[in-house]
Amino acid sequence: MWKIAVGFLIFAGIALYMLSKGGDVDMSGNEHAEHAPAAAAPASVPASK
Amino acid sequence: MATAVAPRPMSEGERMVIFASSLGTIFEWYDFYLFGVMSAIIAANFFSALDESTRNIFVLLAFAAGFAVRPFGALVFGRLGDMIGRKYTFLITILIMGLSTFLVAFLPTYKTAGIIAPIALIALRMFQGLALGGEYGGAATYVAEHAPHGRRGFYTSWIQTTATVGLMLALMVILGTRTYFGEKEFAEWAWRIPYAMSGILLAISVWIRLKLNESPAFAKMKSEGKTSKAPLAESFGQWKNAKVVIFALFGLTAGQAVVWYGGQFYTLFFIQTFLRIDGPTANILIAVSLILGTPFFVLFGAWSDKIGRKPIIMAGCLLAVLTYFPLFNALTTYGNPKLQAAIQKSPVTVVSDAASCNLILNLTGTAKFTTPCDLARVYLSNSGVNYDSVAEAGKVATVKVGDKAIASYDATAANAKDEKARFEKEVRGALNDAGYPAKADPIPIGSSNWLMLVLILTILVIYVTMVYGPVAAMLVELFPTRIRYTSMSLPYHIGNGWFGGFLPAISFSIVAAQGNIYSGLWYPIIIAGMTFVVGMLFVKETKDIDIYAND
Repeated sequence: MWKIAVGFLIFAGIALYMLSKGGDVDMSGNEHAEHAPAAAAPASVPASK
Repeated sequence: MATAVAPRPMSEGERMVIFASSLGTIFEWYDFYLFGVMSAIIAANFFSALDESTRNIFVLLAFAAGFAVRPFGALVFGRLGDMIGRKYTFLITILIMGLSTFLVAFLPTYKTAGIIAPIALIALRMFQGLALGGEYGGAATYVAEHAPHGRRGFYTSWIQTTATVGLMLALMVILGTRTYFGEKEFAEWAWRIPYAMSGILLAISVWIRLKLNESPAFAKMKSEGKTSKAPLAESFGQWKNAKVVIFALFGLTAGQAVVWYGGQFYTLFFIQTFLRIDGPTANILIAVSLILGTPFFVLFGAWSDKIGRKPIIMAGCLLAVLTYFPLFNALTTYGNPKLQAAIQKSPVTVVSDAASCNLILNLTGTAKFTTPCDLARVYLSNSGVNYDSVAEAGKVATVKVGDKAIASYDATAANAKDEKARFEKEVRGALNDAGYPAKADPIPIGSSNWLMLVLILTILVIYVTMVYGPVAAMLVELFPTRIRYTSMSLPYHIGNGWFGGFLPAISFSIVAAQGNIYSGLWYPIIIAGMTFVVGMLFVKETKDIDIYAND
């Protein structure tokens, strides 16, 4: 069990480090990208644009 | 009722079973986050050249892939799993799922292949959704049927931890690729690399799953010729089992789904959109809280073997019902105290003709909001501003901040672009004067506010682990071996896909209608409350059930 815990922490540490260096990224997932409430704002843009 | 056995260490074979099963769900989550991150690039390469009507059709199809095809996949692969076996069904789902992600790396773009490109992409998403519908039920069933009695909660809870692992893996691959190649090349062609790299995960998953044996319970049943010939009819056509499916949906998975979406995805949306915390800070906060909370999946899974699944899942739902409002309020206190102060000191009002105000609900991503009233409410909601609505017949919607009144605009008018810029500039200016910050102040990592935010978000993730940790074991234990795969997959995917998946759109709709950034919490609170009541009254405790008793 301790090996899994250590592995998880190392993995998490690398991911956090990359997240802190890698700039902005959308972490809200696929389903949200398709019909998120934020889409309400772009959706309000007229079709002519 | 089976007698409990003394806990023993997990064997090498059992570890392999859990690992092999979890690989599929890691894949699922890797793909989930990959498409979220890539949405802008995918849109630019596949959909942006399409006219609006055609684009809307593709948006609807993509929506259907998640919300209609997935439950359908649960039926298709659940049936297969109960008829031909867990192992082979499991192999098929991961092959389809993996190839559907992997092949995206090699798709031509609209520029090179025209309409074929978006059609091919959507077809792959459909296959992905179909296979995904059979993945979770298979993983839960397969692991549970290998777990010793009295340890199923502990064993199956590992599957849930893959959501965090999948997120971390996606972040590492995407950010690593983007950093190495730079933004420009990433947007042009290097976005294909994370999809191509999923091939490695696919190869490992298939290789490991090929080495697995059939679940002992299913193998025994098959050798005795007792497998179901019609799992769908047995699962949903006979009231005795169908009612358990219905109770599993309303008394378990619906609440589990909204507590999960509420605690992980809505929090991210809330702190970014309403509290105006910058993206990188919000991401770190969520990632840290997920990492801190993830071990609790296993903790609650194991604990459910001792005290029962039901008390933990119901407690998670009840805690969400009772504490969502104070916890989200505390997020504002520590995430954007200036906004908190402005909300209390400077009320904002939208005066409009009620007839021009629509329900701002964008479930499918194709809805358009064009009236002055709707545009004013969307803008204020997206700015994290609470507002009161005052109805005045014939009035063009006007936003009042203190003594300033700003007329909204009509998005269908010829000068809509200029009017939009004018409206947003004037409202932003008035909000600034009234003390509403355009953005939250920076929150340095390790500061007291940052630590408090991590604490609150971790509590919300712990609620997620309470409802999600024991749920796989409980779903498995509710149904007999001959129809287990089918019966548990459908309520899981309807619960999570519909009740959970609609949460962001419905909650935002409530916020826009009510003019209160916390009012969107009513949706998860009501659904979690319903699950608490239905679950307490109609769902029986299952931890002591002998899942092979009727085989």
